[in-house]
Amino acid sequence: MHTAARAGVAFTAVAVLALTGCAAGASPDTEPTQDEVAPGFLAVSDDAFDGGGDLVVQVDYDTAEASGLDPQGAATARSWMLEGLSYETLTTIDENLDVAPSLATSWETPSATEYVFTLADDAVFSNGRAMTAADVVGSLQRLLDTPTTWTGQLGPIASIEETGDLEVTVTLSEPYAPFLAALANTPAAVLPMAEIESGEVDITTEMVGTGPLVATAHRQDEEWTFAPNEHHPDAASLGFSTLTIDIVGDEATRAAALRDGSADFAVLNSIDSAELLANAKDVTVVGQRNTDFHYLMINSLTGDEALQDQDVRFAINSAIDRDAINELAFGGSTAATGVTPAGLPDACVAEDLPSAARDVAAAKAVIDEIGGLELDLVVYTDEPVLAQIAQVMQQNLAEIGVTVEIQQVDYATYSAAVYGSPADFDLALSWFAGYADPAMVTTWWNPEVAGFSAVFMKGSDELDGLIADGYSTEPGADRAAVFEKLCAVADEQSEMVPLVLRPSTIGWNTASLSPTLSSDEGYGNFLRYITQFRAS
Amino acid sequence: MAVALWSLRRIGAALLTLVVVSVLIFTSVRLMPGDYIDLVLGPLATEAQRAQAVAESGLDDPVVTQYFHWIFGVLTGDLGYSFVSNVSVSDEFAARLPVTATIALLTIVVTLLVGIPLGFVAALRSEGSAGAVGRIISALGISIPEFLLAGVVVFTVSTLGLGVSVGRFAPFSVDPGRFFGSLVLPVTVLAVGCVAVVARNTRDAVMNVLVEPHVQAAVARGETPWFIVRHHVLRNAAAPILTIVGALVAVLLGGTVIVEFVFNIPGMGSYLQTALGRRDYAIVQSAVLLAAIVFIVASLLVDLIANALDPRLRLTGGSRR
Repeated sequence: MHTAARAGVAFTAVAVLALTGCAAGASPDTEPTQDEVAPGFLAVSDDAFDGGGDLVVQVDYDTAEASGLDPQGAATARSWMLEGLSYETLTTIDENLDVAPSLATSWETPSATEYVFTLADDAVFSNGRAMTAADVVGSLQRLLDTPTTWTGQLGPIASIEETGDLEVTVTLSEPYAPFLAALANTPAAVLPMAEIESGEVDITTEMVGTGPLVATAHRQDEEWTFAPNEHHPDAASLGFSTLTIDIVGDEATRAAALRDGSADFAVLNSIDSAELLANAKDVTVVGQRNTDFHYLMINSLTGDEALQDQDVRFAINSAIDRDAINELAFGGSTAATGVTPAGLPDACVAEDLPSAARDVAAAKAVIDEIGGLELDLVVYTDEPVLAQIAQVMQQNLAEIGVTVEIQQVDYATYSAAVYGSPADFDLALSWFAGYADPAMVTTWWNPEVAGFSAVFMKGSDELDGLIADGYSTEPGADRAAVFEKLCAVADEQSEMVPLVLRPSTIGWNTASLSPTLSSDEGYGNFLRYITQFRAS
Repeated sequence: MAVALWSLRRIGAALLTLVVVSVLIFTSVRLMPGDYIDLVLGPLATEAQRAQAVAESGLDDPVVTQYFHWIFGVLTGDLGYSFVSNVSVSDEFAARLPVTATIALLTIVVTLLVGIPLGFVAALRSEGSAGAVGRIISALGISIPEFLLAGVVVFTVSTLGLGVSVGRFAPFSVDPGRFFGSLVLPVTVLAVGCVAVVARNTRDAVMNVLVEPHVQAAVARGETPWFIVRHHVLRNAAAPILTIVGALVAVLLGGTVIVEFVFNIPGMGSYLQTALGRRDYAIVQSAVLLAAIVFIVASLLVDLIANALDPRLRLTGGSRR
């Protein structure tokens, strides 16, 4: 029933799009704009816009973590965003994806392994207690003592010490370039440790942070409501009185809510929605660039036997036309990438990858030598663009004699096939969060660290070494050289093949909302500038 | 006595069906690929985290133990807890069931009020152009899938700005006006197909009765058409119409999943769909069992009523020979 319903909704979306095209006469190549209104921003809120109203945001799915609302257990970008409304971190990222001050107003690095943070003196938890250095130390220590997905991203921390009333010193056992960027994401949030340790606050069911908003109600998969945290420095200047976040699974319904004014802001996902809303009154649709990227998994362990041969995998890799994926699935709004997300400092250049030469004849010769190949390609239905990417790849691979059967399944079935042991697929598509430092996502190319990839890829000592080098090399030319080599080795091994960046499509009603939205995002937090939103 | 025996046999069969269905539901859910642990913890989770989650959710018990634990809970009103929200499934059902039941009831009321008269008119005027138009409309109504119609309605209503917002549901206790207002579109979408089916079957049933000898005899006696319909057609056509209405319950169970998803109505359908995607077993098992109970009870009621209306069915085991 679930699959049928989703298929039905997908069919509906197509039908509605067709109808819209007829009714509105929209151009078939209408795409979400990426034009900036100010450097680094797709939108900047207008102080003259009437504020103080209720802000209604619609998103496609809710948090669903085994750890409940504990931000340290947040493992998906949606959870980072939602919990990030109530929690703050020592650092944050700005519109250029550079690390910027947050609860730490400044920091010094006396050595490559030592970070001395000066804390804000006006940070107050939503229960009214002022944040202390002990909260910072306790929060980071808790993250180390109870490992979660994010613990590994913090790097090799040797000690965390309170070195002043508003000063905390973190010492690493070895240099680790992404440290400040890792501190900028919600799982590294500062928690009210005294209340947690005393049992006064159950952090899995209640959000008590220093952030600008307080969750006042939550019904799973339906709705969140937030009120201003009266203790936050921005409380008096907030441009809305309450924030409601509705969970609305159907893309067409979210688009309709923008059109009829029942939502002020909505995540749309599909670039087709820009066309759907092209002629809608008072609705703006934009494409926010992300460091997230789509990638192809080629199962070299338990997939088709031929995939154990690196030459075969590389032939498949080199036959894939990233430009065609960009044009046909994303309307030209994204870009090809290597392992390090394109656009981040020192990231490798996708056009320089060994596979980029795209010698179709050579690839075909490899496949001809084994007498052709028939493979399955698994995608999940929650992310419709995956099916579009799969179709482009199907055509690409047909050119070299690889017949691809696309299997669209729900995420649970996908998860069992791709991450189960043994993995049961030949090819599969998914996406990675790209984060804000190019070294962070490279970890997933080491099966021993990533774990999940050990069921379908071998990895290599050479690649693992380069990943470690990337972490420990300071930003600059040396690190760029490491990443160039890392991307090339991963490209040649072709077990996880980066394709294109994964942009977000976002819309808002200009009659009821004046938002601030950066052009780039590293942690999927499209409400990062929520304190600047003005809703009438 | 015969009626009582027949009814008891029918009720016993329904109960046995429910037991079998409960086993099938439980088994099917467990055989689905993928599980809650993988989905909620994600691929990056450690083995220790997985083991802890399995133990906390009781999924490390033998499957038979899990089944009897579930069934015992169902019989005592405890449907378990959602793995994801940790909220009582019974509480969620209590909040959501009235919403879905209201949608279904309103749809059935609209269906009966519109579909049966339409069917009668189509049968009594089957030879004219009205009959042809009725057949075409009826065929269209049956053919259009709910998801397509719902999508078109969502688009049209939001584009034309008819003052009806899509997806801003409010519970009855909060705002009765908005509650019923938000159900207008879903009920309309569901009713289109149901009305078409009932009208079509009513027409066929009535036409079948109209050619029977006792009706022909009534015509020969010079009885008025309205008298014939009231005294000879209505009762005889009622059984097949009732059967179709019973079958519509199953259609509605599926249809509400779609309309609740598209119109963002927090009822049982959208709850089941989300839970199914997450393999949230306690919800899926109980919701499907509930749907089976509704269908079986509806079928039972239809049989009992039909037999009361037409005693011939008892003699033929339920079929019209």
